[in-house]
Amino acid sequence: MKTAKFAELLRALAAEEVDAILVGMLSGVLQGAPVTTGDVDIVHRRTPENVERLLRVLKRVNAIYRHDPRRLQPTASHLLGAGHQLLETDFGDLDCLGEIDGGRTFEDLEPHSLRLSLGGGLHVRVLGLRELVEVKRRAGRPKDLAALPVLQATIDEAKARK
Amino acid sequence: MSDSPRTTDMTDSVDARGVDRAQIRRMLAWSPAERLQWLQEFMESVTEIRRLNEDRKVC
Repeated sequence: MKTAKFAELLRALAAEEVDAILVGMLSGVLQGAPVTTGDVDIVHRRTPENVERLLRVLKRVNAIYRHDPRRLQPTASHLLGAGHQLLETDFGDLDCLGEIDGGRTFEDLEPHSLRLSLGGGLHVRVLGLRELVEVKRRAGRPKDLAALPVLQATIDEAKARK
Repeated sequence: MSDSPRTTDMTDSVDARGVDRAQIRRMLAWSPAERLQWLQEFMESVTEIRRLNEDRKVC
């Protein structure tokens, strides 16, 4: 099993100035939720220019489709679509999601996101905790529902600190 | 004075849904970079434990 190298993946995306929002549990961790995850989930802006930047990153980290013995590489047409591209890379698993939550795109989610500094000039855009909770509530899968109490408690504690 | 170790009253830190609020407060006191480092170290520990046990039979 390959351990994810979260910072390296995020740095690679930032280096190419890929417009993307972290939407998985990594988003929750960066906002203070003590949850864990083994992959990086992003919703990327599906313009030709941004997909080209994302493709450059994916080539650099040797991204291929996971769970597919043909070791296929993602293409621009894949990334321009609404589907979920579940990839493995030199730095761990990366899911590039065209849409989430019943058809919501980068542009739909951006107003509910915030930019966080990870030091050294590295910034990432993450889906806000409140929206993350709602997305997971609507997804309704057991693993999403199981995370809700921790995410909600993190919102409450963050509010109490202000 | 007792030699027994001091126990912690969990009711102060764990809420009714079983969420450890103290852990959340500790995470919130960290920077996003420190939170990322926490996750990285956790995942590396998990990988190491799995590696050390990969030859063990699963019942």
